[in-house]
Amino acid sequence: MEDQEILSKFRDPASRNVAFNQLVRKYQSKVYWHVRKMVVDHDDADDLVQDTFVKVWNHLESFRQDASLYTWIYRIATNECLSFLQSKRRRFFLPLNDVGAELAQKLEADEQLAGDEVELKLQKAILRLPDKQRLVFNLRYYDEMPYEQMAEVTGTSVGALKASYHHAVKKVEQYVTEHSLNN
Amino acid sequence: MNTPFRLDEHRRRPHPPLAAPPDRYFEQLPARVMQRVQPSAAPAWGWLTALSAPLRTALASTLVLGGFAASFFLSPTPDVAAISLAQVPQDELVQYLLASDQRVTLADLAELPDAVALGNDPYPQPTPDELQRELDALPADEVYF
Repeated sequence: MEDQEILSKFRDPASRNVAFNQLVRKYQSKVYWHVRKMVVDHDDADDLVQDTFVKVWNHLESFRQDASLYTWIYRIATNECLSFLQSKRRRFFLPLNDVGAELAQKLEADEQLAGDEVELKLQKAILRLPDKQRLVFNLRYYDEMPYEQMAEVTGTSVGALKASYHHAVKKVEQYVTEHSLNN
Repeated sequence: MNTPFRLDEHRRRPHPPLAAPPDRYFEQLPARVMQRVQPSAAPAWGWLTALSAPLRTALASTLVLGGFAASFFLSPTPDVAAISLAQVPQDELVQYLLASDQRVTLADLAELPDAVALGNDPYPQPTPDELQRELDALPADEVYF
């Protein structure tokens, strides 16, 4: 079902539930992995994905279509992630790097990464990035999102996003090089 | 020297190699989301859950303090008996006292508040004529007493 069809059916109270169900099915996987990359833990990601779709439900009627539905949902999910990480830091009085270290610990416990040292170093390097820079890195590197769409999601200019991604790549490469086993 | 790591030479994955979500997670997620967005048959006080935690705390504090204030203002005042007594006409009081065998003693009078004993003005400062009139009205034996 196309976004436009979902939106028009959502406006009709008789077909609202069906339309929203279709919307969740269409975007759940993308939203889940977008969130999961930011918070690493599945349970946290599950909570945030649900919160994101609840907010989508609450505000979809007033969605003005300035942006595409896809980037609008991404933006809500992004804000949920950033608020979650910020509140986590505030709750435990953690400095920036300690949340990254905590996420890296969860990463080490992940069986998928067992044995792949370079990949593990890469993931640790990504988790050491500040939240917003990590978000930019994920959107560009993993999702291969065009900068124009990233600008809609993050509310940042294309130039600033390009600079942020460039710095993020340099930091990641430097970290993996310094912590490589090939000393 | 370390071999410099180049990100563009590294095999790109669609997402970080994290553990997949539990089986049937994406099949169940839409139903769980729909459950959250549907208006449930919440109890009458269900709106409380929509309030933020600080707001709920403030509301609870207000209720407790309001309860204290209400109980303070609604409790019977200690002057009710005095007010009721003041509403009894003086003639009836005199009749009551005369009818019973009770006599007002000096000790009883001593317990009266000054305001009652002296009237409204604690320092009457009568003129000589007023004083003479009062003394003339008294029985002769009390004058000497």
